[in-house]
Amino acid sequence: MSRLVRKSPALCTDLPLENSDILNKLHLLGQLLRSCFGPSGRLKQIHNNIGGQVVTTSTSSVLLPAIYSSTPFLNLILASIRNHVSRLGDCGLFAAILCVTLIEKVKQSGLRQNEAIRINKHLLGLCTTYLEDKECGCKVKFDFSSSHNLIKLANNILCSKPAIMLREYETLHISKLAVEAFLLTVPSNSDGVVTLGMTVIVPIEGHPVMESKVFPGLLVDIPVGFEDLESRNHPCSPLRVVLFSTSLAGHLSEIGDGPIEVQYGTDMDSHILDQLLEIGKQVFKDNVKICVCQKVVHPVLQQYLRSHGVIVVERVGINLMQPLVQLTGAQPLATLHSTIPHKAYGQVGNVILRQFGSKSMLHLYPAEESVICTTVLCHRNETVLNELKVACQKTEHVLRLTLREPFALLGGGCTETHLAAYIRHQCDAAGSASVFGCLQTEYLLGVEAFCGSLESVAAALQHDSEDSLIDLTCAHHWTLPKDVTQEDMKSCERKCGCGLIKTSQTKKWCHLNTKYPVFLPASLSPDATVHAEVLDSFTAKLNALQVAIETVNVVLDIQYTIQDVN
Amino acid sequence: MLGSMIINQRQHVGLQKLSAIATVAHSTLGPRKKYKFIQDEATGESTLASSCLRILDNLDLVTCAVSQLVYETIRAHHEVYRTGAGCLLFFAGAWSRAALLCLQQGIPTSRVVAAMIEGMDLCVDVCKKRSVSFNALCVSTRKRITEASLDSKVIKGKRQVKLSRHFCNTEPGTILVPEPRFSDVARLAAGLSHGCDDAMRLVIQASRIQSKVIPNSVLDVTKVTTCVLPGFPEDHAHVCSGCVILLNPDQASVAHDLKNKPTSVVLISGDLSHSYRHLGFNRPAGIQCVGNRSNMSDLSKAEEWMGKVLEVLSHLEVDLVLVSGLVNAAVIQRCCQRHILVVGKVRASVLKEMATATGATLVTYVTQLSKHCIGKGIQVSIWREIGSHEGTPLTAINLDAGGSTRLVTAIITSPVHGKLQSLEDRFWACAYRVHHALKDKAVLPGAGVTELLCIHRLMKKVEAENPADGTRGSNPYLGIILHLLADSFTEYLAAVMANSTGTSQVKARAVVNQKLQDVDSISADFSQLILDSNEDIPPSKVFDNLSVKQESWRKALDLVLLVLQTDAEIITGVDESKDGIHAGLMFL
Repeated sequence: MSRLVRKSPALCTDLPLENSDILNKLHLLGQLLRSCFGPSGRLKQIHNNIGGQVVTTSTSSVLLPAIYSSTPFLNLILASIRNHVSRLGDCGLFAAILCVTLIEKVKQSGLRQNEAIRINKHLLGLCTTYLEDKECGCKVKFDFSSSHNLIKLANNILCSKPAIMLREYETLHISKLAVEAFLLTVPSNSDGVVTLGMTVIVPIEGHPVMESKVFPGLLVDIPVGFEDLESRNHPCSPLRVVLFSTSLAGHLSEIGDGPIEVQYGTDMDSHILDQLLEIGKQVFKDNVKICVCQKVVHPVLQQYLRSHGVIVVERVGINLMQPLVQLTGAQPLATLHSTIPHKAYGQVGNVILRQFGSKSMLHLYPAEESVICTTVLCHRNETVLNELKVACQKTEHVLRLTLREPFALLGGGCTETHLAAYIRHQCDAAGSASVFGCLQTEYLLGVEAFCGSLESVAAALQHDSEDSLIDLTCAHHWTLPKDVTQEDMKSCERKCGCGLIKTSQTKKWCHLNTKYPVFLPASLSPDATVHAEVLDSFTAKLNALQVAIETVNVVLDIQYTIQDVN
Repeated sequence: MLGSMIINQRQHVGLQKLSAIATVAHSTLGPRKKYKFIQDEATGESTLASSCLRILDNLDLVTCAVSQLVYETIRAHHEVYRTGAGCLLFFAGAWSRAALLCLQQGIPTSRVVAAMIEGMDLCVDVCKKRSVSFNALCVSTRKRITEASLDSKVIKGKRQVKLSRHFCNTEPGTILVPEPRFSDVARLAAGLSHGCDDAMRLVIQASRIQSKVIPNSVLDVTKVTTCVLPGFPEDHAHVCSGCVILLNPDQASVAHDLKNKPTSVVLISGDLSHSYRHLGFNRPAGIQCVGNRSNMSDLSKAEEWMGKVLEVLSHLEVDLVLVSGLVNAAVIQRCCQRHILVVGKVRASVLKEMATATGATLVTYVTQLSKHCIGKGIQVSIWREIGSHEGTPLTAINLDAGGSTRLVTAIITSPVHGKLQSLEDRFWACAYRVHHALKDKAVLPGAGVTELLCIHRLMKKVEAENPADGTRGSNPYLGIILHLLADSFTEYLAAVMANSTGTSQVKARAVVNQKLQDVDSISADFSQLILDSNEDIPPSKVFDNLSVKQESWRKALDLVLLVLQTDAEIITGVDESKDGIHAGLMFL
């Protein structure tokens, strides 16, 4: 008997930005995200309400997927930031904080929404043009002739994740590994289209970070109890490899659902096993030395293959299949019901058994130069190891982006303050209010909201009630600890957020949240690339800026939200 | 989704929780551990626990995020080290209280983090400088390569990654260090027993047996297994070569026949039953048999399988079948009738060692067996007949693969059933202490001396941080925080003293302070306060493990810093309309 449940009517919210409940939630979201930002950001413990696993993180790619709001309005913002993070890997918190702050600032300024949208669009255009300009004062060109810049960039990404719990020298070690792995994935001689390889991360818990290492080729788990058998020497190199994506466990894996009729007395299991052994015979006959299977291999087949000198690796999992294909050049076999074509075989250069604590792994070396490598990451416990793994994946992603656009932006909040000062100067010079058909005061309010939001993102790097300053020469971002006065700043040698400018090079500072005279920030000396200590990804940050402003414009335009609560 | 913010940073709830959980560690510190009796109100079951991990095992910790983190850390530490979990938890508590004090004084979090890390680096440095290398310990007159620890430093220097397109990937060079002898191990072990002399006696026995088989290697913990026997007095505990297995009367009669003659053995991983299939095998659903005869019943299938198994085993003249999984009583009985001894639930490590020693191949199905899979040369001997409390007498047999195996079994006995777990844990703790000392090739001065040296070093730095002329380093709070760290070490020493000799906290602190006056001449009498006075080991010969101590400190600090830097808990999957009454929750 079925019962009809009456549907509840949809929930409709008029002018969501006027709704105090939504504004409170938006403010809470802003606080939550701001508190996670930067190297001294606070961590969050994420868990479900029934005592599931606890994740400790401050990384946007872990944090944002965990956050869901009961308000569609906030989910819209979160979804667009999540999308940015999944595409570009970095600057997720930057985008989210900028977005939430700008919405709040526009709301506070009392600007009409369509005017604010037009002004934002215009200012975003100015920013993009300036950042892409050769003369841009907060951009440095990447120098690929040395790995220093790459390591700095990697180091900065790792530094901004406090939950990975690394000491300085450990961060440097991991940064070097990340760059080493990245360089291994770049093919050294290829014509035309360049295809990058892959890095596979193997996390190992309970060992010191400094034992982390990068290996060319792949590391695969070895069935327990058969470690000793695999360590024989193989004089004939390269070794032929066969790769199965289908299960060799001995059950009917390819027939799908539905009833099967079997003649009485037929032993299905032994029939399938016979077929498996046929495959085994062919594999042996074709002089294959390594048999790798994504799923389980029947113990009888394993025994047969081993007794004929074939190394068996089972249960490698779907994630390793693509790298295995690239490494060996083999075609994964998805069926048991045909003979194996010769072109499906691949090869590896050599195999070595490696030991990490109690874990034994088989190291498959590439037969020729290959763009596949493995990073073994060690850390003291699972929580920090998970965070480290995510941070390394992000780093790899960002390093790859530098190949597309070989630039980096100054980090430590300097790009934000510099950009804000530049925009203020541009808008002050050209009285372009009339272009938008709005009043000069409205235009100035819009500019103020935009620049103020950028500056407050820089200020969000501070978590221990330090003050944020801007210098009035280059418009870089400075930190003033609570116990140091501005006078002290001049006397002792300090550096700005990105480490490019010293106190001696500039004379006047101003608090970030106060009004300062409009000026054109000075551009960089040509050796900026060498001296900047903190670098951000250019591609990721530019995209984050665009995503943030465009999301703000969509959100400002929303008149109703209609929520189906069934 | 909702975020529950910790509103008042100065009253960090997470740190308070951490400090509260850590109080369970106090009774487990030092050579004289106290038992805790944990009773489950709901089921009426009770447990006796004397180690930090076992106490946490028996508490319901999933309710709070911090306790889950604690448990995860302790578990991970125990997996690798088997000892030092109490010290880890104690310092996690002490340092979280220190961090709380800092927050209450308004010291910014980033300063606390930086200063605590600096303090830890100082302490780790103390450990490095004051560690006693294995060479210095061993007084045997063998020729040695001196300063092995220095050599390793040089090699580490060479391994640095070059920052070029071609990162070098050199393998670490092998350093020649003299292999320790059994006599060295015995001397070392006495200093590492930490009050568990009985357990350490077993470890020394195990080492003696193992070192006879392979002269250059003294203790391999992977080839040690334990067997617990309730009912016997504790001094019946001992170690024997091979592995000890308990058998029921049927099996025992077969074992009697097998004793004193070379047996052939097969090793099976997984269960020995007709329905068992290897891991990853999925039985297809919806199979219908068609034909002129009715389906065979499960019973007859099992019978057919049994017949096949017996045929194979008899044909291959197998005497002994060791199975890692389950074997049901009927199968055991049928095999016994054919004079084949079948034993289930054998540890995987034992099977592996038996495979290496006898040349047997581990198989999953009996049908896989062939002549090549059979191992030879296992000696079966009856070790002891044991009356069991259920009435059926049990027989303990010893399986020994002769001279070619280093497998040893520690038999742990106690008349009190509830104590067995603690005794087993202590045995493993001792074994791993020796194992890690051999691996580190160095030990630390024990009996509180290392902690005292750390206090001394920290206080020296504190004095350097507060010079008379008022100039300060980059972190103005460094002095305060290092002072708190030094206090936590004093607290630790006081807690250990309170456990072992019943000294009051105040008196213990006074002793520590007095000893600090002349730290360079730390003498035995201080150490005697920590150890029980009637111990027969001179306190200067008490050692701690280098890597275990360093790692437990580091893990404790990681835990505290992780919690300290956390300012909010995000709980997912909470319904605002239903759970809205929760205090302190904010909904997003």
